[in-house]
Amino acid sequence: MGLFSSMRISGSALTAQRLRMDVIAGNIANADTTRVNGQRQPYQRQQVVFEPLAQVPGAAGGGLQVAAIVRDEAPAREVYDPAHPDADPTTGMVAYPNVDTTTEMTDMLSASRAYEANVTVLNSIKQMAQRSIDLGRA
Amino acid sequence: MPMNVGGVLGGLSPLKPTATPVKSGEAAGADFGAALKQAVGALGQLGQQADASTMKLAAGQPIDIHEVMLNTEQASLGFSMALQVRNKLVDAYQEIMRMSV
Repeated sequence: MGLFSSMRISGSALTAQRLRMDVIAGNIANADTTRVNGQRQPYQRQQVVFEPLAQVPGAAGGGLQVAAIVRDEAPAREVYDPAHPDADPTTGMVAYPNVDTTTEMTDMLSASRAYEANVTVLNSIKQMAQRSIDLGRA
Repeated sequence: MPMNVGGVLGGLSPLKPTATPVKSGEAAGADFGAALKQAVGALGQLGQQADASTMKLAAGQPIDIHEVMLNTEQASLGFSMALQVRNKLVDAYQEIMRMSV
């Protein structure tokens, strides 16, 4: 059905933005994680990569999906703290994750606004459908 | 549509003006009945889908809230559409019943 397919497009975007939100939440939660799987190793920031849903050429609209969740390979933040259990025994430097909370916050805002935008689109689609059903009302 | 409705009611189609040259009342009636059956089936499917996703959410299974809302909204829209079609059918029937012979 045409109407429900346009709802599915916005729905796929909502799902993708939710996943992005999950990834951002993980980044912020692990902003100070110095150990991964029991190893002395800083957490690496993760990012989502979006791509349009595979679509038939010539057909309208495609929706959104997450192509991959990739690791940010930027260098870790080194802080001198010899008392830290995960400090390098020789240099006393602790490798903190390459997570910048400010960047994550702006990403979060962006994800949340994108979600809102898609909800607005959905509401419009719904209203259009409602209006066309109202056509039948005398 | 009213023309097809006439077909469903049986033998009433000759009373209606034929705007477009379509099949005879019998064939049109069968077509309309099939379409109606299919539409009602699709409606039931929408309802079941909405039910299933709501149950999933209630049971705490991993499902996005917007997925549930989309499914229930689809079912609701489908139902109001079906309701309108039914109202039109009843209207047409009553219109014919009111006709003075």
